[in-house]
Amino acid sequence: MFTVTDVIQSKIWVFVEQRQGRLAEVGLEMLGKAMALAETAKWKVAAVLVGDQLASLAQNLLSFGTDEVVVIEDPLLADYCNQAYVKALEAPIRAHKPEVLLLGATALGTDLAPRLAARLRTGLSAHCIDLDLTSDGEIFAVVPGWGGHIMAKVSCPRTRPQMATVMPGVFAVPEPGARSGKIVIVKPDISPQDITYRVLETRREEIPKSGLQAAEVVVAGGWGIGSKPDWHYVEDLASALNGAVGATRPPVDEGWADEKQMIGQSGITVRPRLYIGVGISGHMHHLVGLKSTELTVAINSDPKAAIFHYCDLGLVGDFKEILPVLVKAIKAYSGSEMK
Amino acid sequence: MDFKFSDREELLRKTVREYAEKEIPPYMETMEETGEFPTELLKSMGQMGILGVITSPEYGGTGMGHLARIIVLEELGRVCPAIPMALQVHHMCTYALGTWGNEDQKKKYLPPLAKGETMGAVAVTEPSGGSDVAGMQSAATLDGDKYILNGRKCFITNAHTADTWVVIARTSEGGKGLSAFIVEKGFPGAKVGRKENKVGLRGANTGELAFNNCEVPKKNLLGNEGDGMTIAIRDIVECGRPGMASVALGILCAVMEQAVKFANERTLYGKSITKLQAIQWYLAEILSDLEISRLLTYRVGWMLDQKMSPHAESALSKQFACEAAARSARKAIEIHGSYGIMKEYPVQRLLRDALVTIPAGGTAEIAKLVLARQAMTTYG
Amino acid sequence: MRIVVSLKPVPDLKHWNRLELDPKTKTLVRKGIPGAINPLDRHALEAALRLREKHGGEVVILSMAPEDSRPVLKEALAMGADRAVLLSDPAFAGSDTLGTAYALSVALERLEGVDLVLCGDQTVDGGTAQVSAQLAEFLGIPNLMHVSGIEATDGAAWLVRCQMEHGYITVEIKPPMVLSVTRDVGQPRYVTLMNILEADAKEIQVWSAKDLPMRESWIGLAGSPTQMGDLFVPEKKGSAEMLAGTPAEQAAQLADRLHRLGFC
Repeated sequence: MFTVTDVIQSKIWVFVEQRQGRLAEVGLEMLGKAMALAETAKWKVAAVLVGDQLASLAQNLLSFGTDEVVVIEDPLLADYCNQAYVKALEAPIRAHKPEVLLLGATALGTDLAPRLAARLRTGLSAHCIDLDLTSDGEIFAVVPGWGGHIMAKVSCPRTRPQMATVMPGVFAVPEPGARSGKIVIVKPDISPQDITYRVLETRREEIPKSGLQAAEVVVAGGWGIGSKPDWHYVEDLASALNGAVGATRPPVDEGWADEKQMIGQSGITVRPRLYIGVGISGHMHHLVGLKSTELTVAINSDPKAAIFHYCDLGLVGDFKEILPVLVKAIKAYSGSEMK
Repeated sequence: MDFKFSDREELLRKTVREYAEKEIPPYMETMEETGEFPTELLKSMGQMGILGVITSPEYGGTGMGHLARIIVLEELGRVCPAIPMALQVHHMCTYALGTWGNEDQKKKYLPPLAKGETMGAVAVTEPSGGSDVAGMQSAATLDGDKYILNGRKCFITNAHTADTWVVIARTSEGGKGLSAFIVEKGFPGAKVGRKENKVGLRGANTGELAFNNCEVPKKNLLGNEGDGMTIAIRDIVECGRPGMASVALGILCAVMEQAVKFANERTLYGKSITKLQAIQWYLAEILSDLEISRLLTYRVGWMLDQKMSPHAESALSKQFACEAAARSARKAIEIHGSYGIMKEYPVQRLLRDALVTIPAGGTAEIAKLVLARQAMTTYG
Repeated sequence: MRIVVSLKPVPDLKHWNRLELDPKTKTLVRKGIPGAINPLDRHALEAALRLREKHGGEVVILSMAPEDSRPVLKEALAMGADRAVLLSDPAFAGSDTLGTAYALSVALERLEGVDLVLCGDQTVDGGTAQVSAQLAEFLGIPNLMHVSGIEATDGAAWLVRCQMEHGYITVEIKPPMVLSVTRDVGQPRYVTLMNILEADAKEIQVWSAKDLPMRESWIGLAGSPTQMGDLFVPEKKGSAEMLAGTPAEQAAQLADRLHRLGFC
């Protein structure tokens, strides 16, 4: 039988993923959004932690302004196991009936959420990029489908809690400060039989430097780079992002880049998630080589460059000034673990 | 009349398309530069069942028939026309063996050809002329248990990659004087000669075969003495011409796709060139050529599968489709403007490929003789 | 070993440029676009075939789809599966992932003796990546997602590799189980002409809701707690969002965006 130290008042629960004492940033992002939504519905927000030895994490979470932190703790939950976590969460959810339950769309979150939703026989919206709450307490989630080309609004009118997994990077992390909130400890009813698989090994891997066509990140340079010695700016940025280097025709003709790196109608077609074009004006036959990137960024000193009509983010400026700062900032982010 | 493809044929098209799109492009640049056929592909093509598509399963083939063969060649040609050019001649070899070979010959030669362990070629054309089959000079004389073969064959596709050749040569005087032989590359006196440097379909290598007192075992006579003319003509009509037409279909498909792709991306006068009527007419004309060529060619495949003789239909489809391919490739180049004549863009290669299909495997003039005869017989 | 590959026919990616959003009904018009095996499900099928090659047994395709999906199932049979079950009934229309997972679980229970259920992590159309886990929950068996490697052992625990952010984990897990796979689990083999001929003889059984002990209120619209509202197309960016400021400020803004999207 699970036990709880106090009554949980919050109606919006945010599952904040933690692993080995480190919080996934998406958990904080969702907290921020949840607190904003809660104002409309006049609800309280609880951050939910599952695992073991969570005291200091719980304290940390309170500082972000959440009304409650629900701590579901047990040594058996120290390592994530989906069925065990589902069981641990089910009882308090059924007992305290939150209206909304949010999880981050991480590898763990996207594994836990559907199983939990099926256990609770409730609705789950996946990979949301936006959330809206009506004064009736109905959540509308905006979810992408068809490779991101179409959006849909999804609701869960008949069952509770209304569940959603939220994409990382969509909402902002709230500012921490001195806040008051309370910690509620839940002792779950977990036994060794609930652990249905065992993680033998965890391996961190650098994303392998693959060829241009397989690359997730492509940084391409164009005529605007100007000279062979300056080509290293492009290479440095690609390296910092663990990406591949691409080029338009002029750098290849000039010998700054290799023929095999040429992207375009006559070169290679690439499908990176992120494409950054530096010193590229944006002529058609280069752009033709790009297919369905998630984010296209262009850096060019000419504000009238055609490429600014074909990208998501544009920076007008001198790449020699922008790139070094950019590389430094990227390295600072990459160097840190999950907060 | 049912103009729909069966589920099986749709699946066939889909899988060959996937195979072609993935496996062939890495070789294309080298093929264009060197004119060499990528023999490394033979193994996977054998595993796919493409090489034995008209060979009976009894001898290691998939025996899916002539319409299936057309689909296979068309899809390969859409990616790289040189590939089905080489394969269609390989099929001509397997077809000759499968149709006129005896049990021992079929058991010996067909399985490795189906698997891609060996490649096939057919040698009819000589310097004296390809259109004048009866005028050929190569001769074979019986000497005990073997034939001694002398002569030269030119413009032979797969000359440098094939191991098994079906060679037509004269064994006696007169119209019924030609015979067909199965010649292995390694037979004493058989030689592979010069390599041609073609302007298109580079990668289907074309060259010369020379026979200098070449010893061909008697048991390698294909059919009977005197069958050579029938074998050559029927192999061409039933296998060679639809094969060439299929290569042209592949070119037409690629031409259509390239034309639409470029037209969609190109802007002039502030708008897409697809809004310009001249471009629209070109696209309409290319589509017409593509659809007509398809119907003509598929019909030949269907007729062959029904065991009908497609003499005139075969000539018509080959002649029409190949000319249509060249004509449409030219229009596609016009759509591309100056980009069209740049080697970076594929359309110029497609035009060169199409030009090569016109005389290969039967000139337009010979085809028209056949058609004229047909017109006079049917409507006279 | 009996492996079931749960496979979804989806509109063929090659023809997606023909998909249109109906402005009146705000739904996607899928008419006339041929179906194909959901790409990640092909990888799942490949993984199943490799396991069968190594350990023997049977690979069964299970698909909840309209009757006109037969050609897609034929293709799966041509890839090498032994037989296929098509779960088809108008009663399933409007199912969300919960309704779908439930229906599939009932069909799976009828199949009996299943050691492993394989499917792709997500579909290219809905893309929710939820069915595999929900299916496992209904069946009451363990599941893992983002699987990139499977090592089966007869009778004992299997070793499964799952991709996580920035790396992978190796997990020990006992059958029966549900595994959903990533592309890394293996390149799907080509369908050969020989396979196409063999597939002709393979069976596609069609089961309707009435053939199985389905709870009516758990399938179709009634069994689907989530409801889709209007579909809309995200605003096309006519021109870029320009990042302003000094070069250092621009760089910092861009780095922040990249970080939030997980690129650093």
